[in-house]
Amino acid sequence: MRALERDESGVVRGVYWERFGDGEPTVVFVPPWAIVHSRVWKMQVPYFARHFRVVVFDPRGNGRSERSDDPAAFAETEYAEDLLAVMDASGTERAVLVSLSLGAQRTLVVADSHPERVLALGFVAPALPIAPLHPERAHYAARFEEELDTDAGWAKSNAQYWRRDYRGFVEFFISRIFTEPHSTKQIEDGVAWGLETDPETLIATGLAENLGEEETRAICSRLRCPVLVMHGEDDAVRPMAIGEELAAITSAQFVRMPGVGHCPQARKPVQVNLTLRELMESAARSPPAPLSTTGPPTER
Amino acid sequence: MRNGRKRVLYISSPIGLGHARRDVAIAQELRRLVPGVEIDWLAQNPVTRVLEREGERVHPASRWLANESGHMESESAEHDLHCFQAWREMDEILLANFMVFHDVVREERYDLWVGDEAWELDYYLHENPGEKRAAYAWLTDFVGWLPMEDGGTHEAFLTADYNAEMVEHIAQHPEVRDQALFVGNPEDIVPDRLGPELPLVRDWTEHHFDFAGYVSGFDQAELGDRERLRAELGYRPGEHVCIVTVGGSGVGEALLRKVMAAFPAAKSQIPDLRMIVVAGPRIDPATLPAGDGLEVYPYVHDLYRHLAACDLAVVQGGLTTAMELTAGKRPFIYFPLKHHFEQNLHVRHRLERYGAGRRMDFDESEPEDIATAIAEEIGREVDYREVETGGARRAAGRLAELLA
Repeated sequence: MRALERDESGVVRGVYWERFGDGEPTVVFVPPWAIVHSRVWKMQVPYFARHFRVVVFDPRGNGRSERSDDPAAFAETEYAEDLLAVMDASGTERAVLVSLSLGAQRTLVVADSHPERVLALGFVAPALPIAPLHPERAHYAARFEEELDTDAGWAKSNAQYWRRDYRGFVEFFISRIFTEPHSTKQIEDGVAWGLETDPETLIATGLAENLGEEETRAICSRLRCPVLVMHGEDDAVRPMAIGEELAAITSAQFVRMPGVGHCPQARKPVQVNLTLRELMESAARSPPAPLSTTGPPTER
Repeated sequence: MRNGRKRVLYISSPIGLGHARRDVAIAQELRRLVPGVEIDWLAQNPVTRVLEREGERVHPASRWLANESGHMESESAEHDLHCFQAWREMDEILLANFMVFHDVVREERYDLWVGDEAWELDYYLHENPGEKRAAYAWLTDFVGWLPMEDGGTHEAFLTADYNAEMVEHIAQHPEVRDQALFVGNPEDIVPDRLGPELPLVRDWTEHHFDFAGYVSGFDQAELGDRERLRAELGYRPGEHVCIVTVGGSGVGEALLRKVMAAFPAAKSQIPDLRMIVVAGPRIDPATLPAGDGLEVYPYVHDLYRHLAACDLAVVQGGLTTAMELTAGKRPFIYFPLKHHFEQNLHVRHRLERYGAGRRMDFDESEPEDIATAIAEEIGREVDYREVETGGARRAAGRLAELLA
């Protein structure tokens, strides 16, 4: 059973969203890569819904959101439009945006194009092109569509392999997320969510257009809202150097999490919840930017 | 402290009714030992039913708790509850409930937190030792997740992994539990290991727990003379009373139905048989079939008095009810829930030590078999090992030390 049932739900642009609670302000938990869906926030939703208002949504490509085999459907700009559409559909004028991993990219796009709708930003294990990937992963990322002569390690992050053994990839990837000992339940959850989508959809996400480094840095330099970054020291999917760099260029508060992997919100939920609650409370105290349509221009 | 009074926040596991009864008994003893102590309960149904009847103060934040008992029911099938897996699936509920607890103790000062099988409290305090802001006492009547045989090597791996995490938690943060009380005696502990590379459950528990002995929710001596008790409860002279009860959870409906189906055959063997079926707070008696001469009731307060007075009880394998029957020297038949490691392994081991109860298998027992067993067991003289008294007082004494 879920710890808390939704108060409202809907579908917009093929994207399924849910709303819980009705306090102030709203937090939108932004989903990461479509290998999982909104349930990655299951340890956050009941707590934040009790104090604030919570909106979550399934990323296109997984959960109850639409699938596609067209890479264009999964461009970060599309995900950003989804985020805005979900905010509109759920009656959310402004919100604190809390993202996990790749969710950082679509969140940055929205924060840049619609700063008046963003009270604060919380980044958990951000996946941004501002620090190098682990070398082995980077090596195979560049050969994503090639037929490789090995399936070992990050060579599994390959379109050909996904078509051959999708489950094998999901199990590998989720095991790299939860490097902490005693994570059997989190791994089971992650694998089950990963198997809710399919290799062709995931391959399309792998070919979609992400933010580049220059663009990311430019957006970060324009951010004016409070920013918090949390990152696990032992993150084997997106190195902590990314989070540190993001915090440095946005003058953000940085929370370094020793012994923690790529999903602190699942593996260290108490610390993540208490830290994010402080962000929510400071956002509630500070006056929001005026709502306008003349924010900084979107340069994408 | 408020007005110089010591304050205790008590969290009692809502899975089954047994914890609630013993925790109320401990709380009552604690008030005798620490005059003026204020005890608040962070509790949910069905624990709150017991607390409200006893006039205990349920903290208003309790309304925010996500329902654990309902989750367990949702994970159960016919007389089947894989409680280890169901508990694992409850992770988001446990975390949500820990956050409720955290909100309460963030706002209010307590001198002592008590968790009776309050898994969320114990686990997340060890994960976040910096959040401990009061003395903390942990109570349990079993230690160690154990695999069921048909769970194979994977379940054995999982239970060992959870046990290993517990062992590491205690080793790394011995400061978290100021008191760890085992409700029972060392001999009650199963002979198993916590895992292939881990210590024996008994060795580890003896090293890390104090033993309160069995903690009953009431004093058998206070029940007085059994014949008078039977008269008070309206039992007619000469009749043979069989109580059928499945405790506080909603998981027991299949057992109730099967035993009710055994009633006609049992009645033909024991003509003065009277069968009283207690559906419990989470099963609607109206959903059960009516039968000639069968009596069906919803929740019965002071069920323990009936259990002390009856000639036979038919129950699940939950510890509290079985131990009340053992202490009262009543014959009983018990049907452990399938895949419920606590009932099938921990409780069974303890009952065998006491020489108490006749265990039957739900799947293998047809109503006729149950009728025969009822006829054989009802009114039988038993020679169970004596159950000690004073457990609540001993447990309260250990808690009182933390308030000194």
